Amino acid sequence: MTQDSRRTQARGRTVATVEGVGHAFGDLTVFRDVSFEVREGTMTTLVGPNGSGKTTLLRIVAGLLSPTEGTVDVTRRSERAVGYLPQQPSFRSVFTVEETLRFYADLLPTDVDVAAAIDRVGLSGARDRNVDALSGGMRRLLGIAQATLGDPSLVVLDEPTGDLDPRMTEYVFEVLVDLAESGMAVLLATHNLLGAEKADDVALLDRGGIVVRAPPDEFVGDADADSLAEAFRHYVSGDADLTVRAGAGGGDDQ
Amino acid sequence: MTDARPDGGEAATETDRRSVTARIESLPDPDQLFAVVGRELRTVVRTRAYAALAVGYAALVVALAGAGGASGFLPLTLDLLTYVELLVPALAIAFGYRAVLGDARRGELDVLQTYPLSKPTFVLGVYLGRVTALLVVVLVPLLLVGAVVPFVGGTQSSVLATHAGADSAFLYLRFLTLTALFSMVGLGVALAVSATADSVRAAIALGLGFLVVLVVGLDVGIVAALGAGVVGEGSLQWVLALSPNSAFRGLVLRTVVGAVSTSSVRAAVPAANLAGLAIWLVGSLALSIWAAWDD
Repeated sequence: MTQDSRRTQARGRTVATVEGVGHAFGDLTVFRDVSFEVREGTMTTLVGPNGSGKTTLLRIVAGLLSPTEGTVDVTRRSERAVGYLPQQPSFRSVFTVEETLRFYADLLPTDVDVAAAIDRVGLSGARDRNVDALSGGMRRLLGIAQATLGDPSLVVLDEPTGDLDPRMTEYVFEVLVDLAESGMAVLLATHNLLGAEKADDVALLDRGGIVVRAPPDEFVGDADADSLAEAFRHYVSGDADLTVRAGAGGGDDQ
Repeated sequence: MTDARPDGGEAATETDRRSVTARIESLPDPDQLFAVVGRELRTVVRTRAYAALAVGYAALVVALAGAGGASGFLPLTLDLLTYVELLVPALAIAFGYRAVLGDARRGELDVLQTYPLSKPTFVLGVYLGRVTALLVVVLVPLLLVGAVVPFVGGTQSSVLATHAGADSAFLYLRFLTLTALFSMVGLGVALAVSATADSVRAAIALGLGFLVVLVVGLDVGIVAALGAGVVGEGSLQWVLALSPNSAFRGLVLRTVVGAVSTSSVRAAVPAANLAGLAIWLVGSLALSIWAAWDD
């Protein structure tokens, strides 16, 4: 199995190139020699066991953390190269949805249509609601709307559906698919393998590197499994004949 | 770098390597600065805890002024000076200790770094927004009790007297101006606490620690150094300038009390005290900018 997806290669140009990236916290190597590309108009999900380094890798791609080795290139198409949603997004509680997004929009040199960003995630009915009156799912949607402000070429989302109910989880993935179809490159970490099936590519980060990267059907088929969840267990349990990258390490997601 | 588009045209794009976001460490962008200042001001105005602090402080100032009799501007200044030395740093810490830390804990500092926003712009915006609110809270009650003096004061008070040797509203305005400067320094220290602490508990501990150091610790240290002979009497005025509280007190005594005193007030060298306060302010802001987030 190749790590580059044929389906992904058929999409737009490369927006992000991660090449030979590794990271260590002191003596603890989280991963090494991670390489992949993200193309515009695609959604790539990063899956892996707890502690495999998904958050660390996303923070590196978002430019929030310097890798200890390797490079990340992101092609920008606007003043904002990358939009980012942290794992537990929160905002100042005394502001409304619209005020929160207006503040972030005002940090950009170009005019931003805040109302369109709110509409895009389906929060129009709550635009005047204070952040502290939002449900967890709505707060996540606000975070996603924030991540899209300024039309970044790449949107990085860390566990956008964590702790959400199945209906809201499904809705969030629909929003993310829409973002990809609008031309953005979407890269997210998730433990929700049902949602991951909607992605163009699934990358499994485990044992210090990306051990599998493929479209969902290939990911499942090559593991001779019936679902992503079963395939995930297959790869993570070590049954598969995988070429694991050197320098395996562990540790909590940082 | 210019990439070919799928439609055959060309789009002006560029590639960032390693540092994905554009962080232009230059002069603060006015529009961004205004946005951050507005966010801080609205946060303070809409947070009930700050309103409660403001009301409590105002009530205390009125009570202290009333207890002192407010027989003139100079007596009022002397009545309030010690309390202002204690209350203003406490208010400053309360207004600033979570300003940057709160954004960090909510994940908003990470989000902010994905915008073309420089650290100096962000930190200065937070500072200006918070210090504006603090100045209103600190100065309005002082102005109000000062405004009452001509109506309830004794024969010594007169808003018309401006010459040296007489009590005057202008002396009180000097006190307010120096209090504003003192407040600005206090907020700067509070912001530095907020930017360097990695938890609310650490910020509270650091804030209280700084409060003790500023209000008592530095003065006690200077007295101890004087007693031990480390600091000579000749250099005492200069060493006192290193403590914000001593510098503020010295400036008030020299420029407000000293203006009407027949004996010279030797407690301060105004230029040194102003420089001391400026160093604390600039140093605190520099530390805040450096510590706000990792480059």
